[in-house]
Amino acid sequence: MIVCIAVVGHQNNPLYIQSFTEADDALKLHHIVHCSLDVVDERVNNPKKSGPMINETFLGLLYPTENYKVYGYLTNTKVKFILVTTDLDVRDADVRNFFRRFHSAYLDAVSNPFHVPGKKITSKTFAERVSNIVKSVSFNTAG
Amino acid sequence: MENFLAQFQSIKNSCNRLVIAVDDVNDVWPLVKEGFEKRLPFKKAILNNKTRNPVTVHNLPAEFILASDLKVRSRFIPDQPLFWFREPYATVVLITCEDLDEFKTILKPRLKLTLQNDEKQWFIVFVSKAARHNDQAYKMAQKVYGRVEVDFNSRKRERCCKYDLHGPEGTFWEELEFKIMECIRNSLDRRIQFYEDEIRKLSELRFMPIWSFCNFFMLKESLAFMFEMAHLNEESLREYDELELCYLETVKNPGRLREFGGMDIGDDQAAILNPTNKQLSQIVQDNSFREFEFRQYLFACQAKLLFKLNRPFEVASRGFAFIVSFSEALARRESTLPFCLREVWVLTSCLGLVKATADHYKNGLVAPEVEKEFYRVQGELYSLCRVKFMRLAYLLGNGSDIERSPVNSAALSMLPWPKPAIWPSVPSDASSEVLAKEKMILEATPRIKHFGIDHKKPLPLEPSSLLLEANRQKGSLSADSESQASQLAKVYIASQHALLKTISEPGLWKSLSSLQEFEKKYLELTKGAADNYHHSWWKRHGVVLDGEIASVCFKNGNHDLAAKSYEKVCALYSGEGWHDLLADVLPNLAECQKILNDRAGYLSSCVRLLSLDKGLFLTKERQAFQSEVVRLAHSEMEDPVPLDVSALITFSGNSGPPMELCDGDPGSLNVTLWCDFPDEIALESLSLTLTATNNADDCVKAIRSGDVTILKPGRNTITLSLPPQRPGSYVLGVLTGQIGHLRFRSHGFSRGGPADSDDLMSYDKPTRPILKVFKPRSLVDLSTKVSSALLMNEPQWVGIIVKPFKYSLKGAVLHIKTGPGLKIEESRDIEMETHLNSDNENNNNDDDNNNDDKNNKEFSHLTFKNGNIELPDWASNVVGVLWIPVRAIHDGLARGTSAGTILSERANVVDGLRTLGLKLEFGVSRNQIFEKTLAFHFTDPFHVSTRVVDKGSDGALLLQVILQSQVKASLTIHDAWLDLEDGSVHNGKPTSALFPLVVPQSSRAGILFDEEKALHPDTILNIKYEISGDRNYGSHTPVSLEPKVQENDPFLTFRSGLELQRPVLEPSLAVGFLPLPSNGLRVGQLFTMKWRIERLKFSKDETNNDEVVYEVKANLKNWMIAGRKRGHAPLSTKQGSRIEISVLCVPLGAGYFRPPQLELPNVNRANICCNPAGPHLVCVLPPPLSSSFCIPA
Repeated sequence: MIVCIAVVGHQNNPLYIQSFTEADDALKLHHIVHCSLDVVDERVNNPKKSGPMINETFLGLLYPTENYKVYGYLTNTKVKFILVTTDLDVRDADVRNFFRRFHSAYLDAVSNPFHVPGKKITSKTFAERVSNIVKSVSFNTAG
Repeated sequence: MENFLAQFQSIKNSCNRLVIAVDDVNDVWPLVKEGFEKRLPFKKAILNNKTRNPVTVHNLPAEFILASDLKVRSRFIPDQPLFWFREPYATVVLITCEDLDEFKTILKPRLKLTLQNDEKQWFIVFVSKAARHNDQAYKMAQKVYGRVEVDFNSRKRERCCKYDLHGPEGTFWEELEFKIMECIRNSLDRRIQFYEDEIRKLSELRFMPIWSFCNFFMLKESLAFMFEMAHLNEESLREYDELELCYLETVKNPGRLREFGGMDIGDDQAAILNPTNKQLSQIVQDNSFREFEFRQYLFACQAKLLFKLNRPFEVASRGFAFIVSFSEALARRESTLPFCLREVWVLTSCLGLVKATADHYKNGLVAPEVEKEFYRVQGELYSLCRVKFMRLAYLLGNGSDIERSPVNSAALSMLPWPKPAIWPSVPSDASSEVLAKEKMILEATPRIKHFGIDHKKPLPLEPSSLLLEANRQKGSLSADSESQASQLAKVYIASQHALLKTISEPGLWKSLSSLQEFEKKYLELTKGAADNYHHSWWKRHGVVLDGEIASVCFKNGNHDLAAKSYEKVCALYSGEGWHDLLADVLPNLAECQKILNDRAGYLSSCVRLLSLDKGLFLTKERQAFQSEVVRLAHSEMEDPVPLDVSALITFSGNSGPPMELCDGDPGSLNVTLWCDFPDEIALESLSLTLTATNNADDCVKAIRSGDVTILKPGRNTITLSLPPQRPGSYVLGVLTGQIGHLRFRSHGFSRGGPADSDDLMSYDKPTRPILKVFKPRSLVDLSTKVSSALLMNEPQWVGIIVKPFKYSLKGAVLHIKTGPGLKIEESRDIEMETHLNSDNENNNNDDDNNNDDKNNKEFSHLTFKNGNIELPDWASNVVGVLWIPVRAIHDGLARGTSAGTILSERANVVDGLRTLGLKLEFGVSRNQIFEKTLAFHFTDPFHVSTRVVDKGSDGALLLQVILQSQVKASLTIHDAWLDLEDGSVHNGKPTSALFPLVVPQSSRAGILFDEEKALHPDTILNIKYEISGDRNYGSHTPVSLEPKVQENDPFLTFRSGLELQRPVLEPSLAVGFLPLPSNGLRVGQLFTMKWRIERLKFSKDETNNDEVVYEVKANLKNWMIAGRKRGHAPLSTKQGSRIEISVLCVPLGAGYFRPPQLELPNVNRANICCNPAGPHLVCVLPPPLSSSFCIPA
């Protein structure tokens, strides 16, 4: 299950963060997303380590913890998408596909002339679209 | 082969270096042993790895053992390749012989027998016992050794060397080492080959049912061990890596169900760094090994090698990956393992790994990125350990002591609960413990949040309710009658007893047993994680954990340390705009600062709390923050701090075009302030800077509002009075002011709306000018209405046009200062009216104001006080004419001239000029001043010239008076008479029928007087006249007469002295104008003008007897005169004497002109007879055409 999806600006400021949990615990997801920026920074700042990944927008798995997984995606404008999922058996291709769809939704949202670049995304349409994408995606190959 | 396992292990444990066999053929070993063993371990060896590449090995340990020794002999099991690693790697054959025959017959056959057909790697050391001085023996030994070499050296390989017991050692030791190394290398190569072949054979059988992992493992480990003995650790590690891969493959293969392990006492303590934890023979099972122990064993072997290779960072990173993957494996078997074994195992493995790797790690030996990565892994290990530790503590009921922070919640609540097959139940004898625990649960007070923030639900530390989980897994829902606390107490106590069985390490149990111990361990783990993260790339992880340390410090009263750590966390969150997280920590920091009495910090924290997204706190809470700010601001602070309220009070100018001001004008500026304080707030003072956009020098001007301003929440508009500014355009700069005793400052420029909270990241700079101050320009002009002359000595209106240039003259005051010879008639009111242009062409050019107001003519009477006139309001925007009654004073009597004399007009004009100094004060606060001096021209109504026309027979003169009107008004002469000098009344008055005589403007009229008496130059001409003119055009009826126009005497009187030209009665000198050149005068052509003066008779009046003074007068517009215009000419007193005076002249224009005249100033005009008598004209032709440029070809 995807528990959280976030858009983080190039100054590492949150632009959009949405959790999909029942409980009133969004703050812990904020924490997870925020801390995962460490990993993104590390990958971006150490191109040697990431090697051929340098031109790749999909950053892959950021956190291999035993209870949740965090995936990252970096756009050309240095905007990061962070995905937190509790599914432990996930195929990279599925996540990649999810990010691609999310990216196009994001592009539509920021192309809105009333959106101020670098400001939080407040569009309801975007939120709706994101929640549709999240609902339609199932990572768990096990079922 | 499994049977060998125990033996293999024991051999492996007893064997730790390479063996070199010594075949002591002639019992010389005791003699050389010491020397040989001194060479051990070998300083440097070059061996081949598996791919036959040379590898340099340092300090290779080895051991010399006699071939006859049982140790070597007994263990030789030729068919078992498992033990090859312990076989001698080289054989040194020690011989000595002093007799050649003996060698040939005895020694050589014996050696051949031992060395032939042997797999051994051998070489011969010939020990020579002969002393150097014993020449013969020495020679013999040489001879024998030579024989040995011949017999045993081959072309490919030299297998002999010689050792002189009593002689110089020479290069023997190097040779010995070289030969040993050669043997070892060869043996290794061959054995590797053997092992490889064997392993390959086994591998090929991998999918056969008879295949045994155990055999494969022993073979592989045997090879690995051989490498390890030869210090080829890299090779050895590779073997273990391959073993691990192979093992994991067999584990995955679901063919056989094997026991997992982990059920023994002590299994909770990880053995990932201790390969000898358990005997392998204990864990062997069905041709393979138990996974739990064996995977740890393999990792331990790898770790050992990696430490030997001095790569502790690799141990850490491999270890972390191993722990995570092993933990998954444990999770899969959780139901069969002891309660929480997984948690405890992870905890102990992390701790062990951290400690071991940190001990082996030496700073500065690796590349910085490796170092950073190492610290990150250490941090991860600590962090994982910490999570497991908290989880255990939570299960034991210590959850209330764990801070429900986002980091803890994220770490704990997303972990699933342990899933034992059966959730432990409470032992029968533990009811008292349950009661105690229950009491503790009931007594536990929830943490009090600062500022009364209570709307947020605390974050969960558990995945879902522990109670439900425990009950669900126990399969029985407890009776409802039991309270939740009591149920929980039971769960805790049950877990406690179960854990007591699982945890074998007393240290860990101690840490979990009491709150103090728990906190100690918790702090140790948190600090460990934070410190390591700080050394790595993952700064955020470190700082967040600092926050956790802070919360413990806070609880323990160490507020100073807590504040420092909280500050770091807050700086991290606020720097990147994570307000939700900041809102969670900032109240804690504020509370610390409050307790520490750090007022400045507390204040700024309160302001920051107010600045956060409004949705993050309730209004009630925000009001609490504000009241704290206000309370502090009004209290006496030792060091008042400046407050930055950029996020709370933002400002913007009005929408629309900027305010425009003329240079020097003050104004008032409206500014919109958005206030984000939840309640009204009083600002003791307020000022705003203006920044000039065009001028960098004086960029900042502050404008202030001195009063207390009260801002309501939301939009406020304030008006600031603006002193005169320099020309330029200005944008808003910074808002400053005071709340209580505190100065505040706001850079928060908003675009006309409330501040976005994420604007904190980057402030907008106001770019749109709010104010434009124009460069100085003319704002008003004062000019005269009338250009033509006004009547001298009569009260006349002078008109001053007041013309504003798009600038209001409201409240303007005009100061008037009269120049000499001018007086303002103060008895009369000053009038002002709208300026109307009668001329069409003016209308077109003029401002539209005039056209508009054509039908709307205004008129006012104004009073003149102390030289000032206040302009009426209606005149503020339209062009008006101010009529001021003045009188120009001229004391002298006007003098006529005789007709024909050339007049100097200029003198006349200058005489009539009068000035008015004007100073107009206008503008918003009469700050603008316009000064101008206007000149007006006054004149007499007529210019009088006279001519005596004729002399009657009775001797009376006929006087012609020519009146030239000098005003632009119609003059009507009603009467004219002459006052003679002696006072007698003249009788030659013109006939009254002549009057009234109307003289139109600028025209002439003549009157003829018939005078009997001789006229005297002082005769005065009186003219009674009337003027009818418009003040808009020039002279007009004098002001004072206007109201009494219809009364008795509406006439004015003009008096003028007469200049009479008498007829030449007694000529004494005659001046004759000599004829001009016959070809006429042409423009530009020089000619000589000549006069002849002839004395007719001598007059006694003349002062100079024999000369005359002459003067040439000419209109300089028409003539250019070269030479002297005035001079003395000799003329004798004799009658008839004559002289010619000539002057060079150039005519300047073509036409008929009066030629230059010759005058004799010292001679009475009556005595000069002129020829021609009166003025005459000469013709000047235009210049000759120049034909030089148009010659026909």
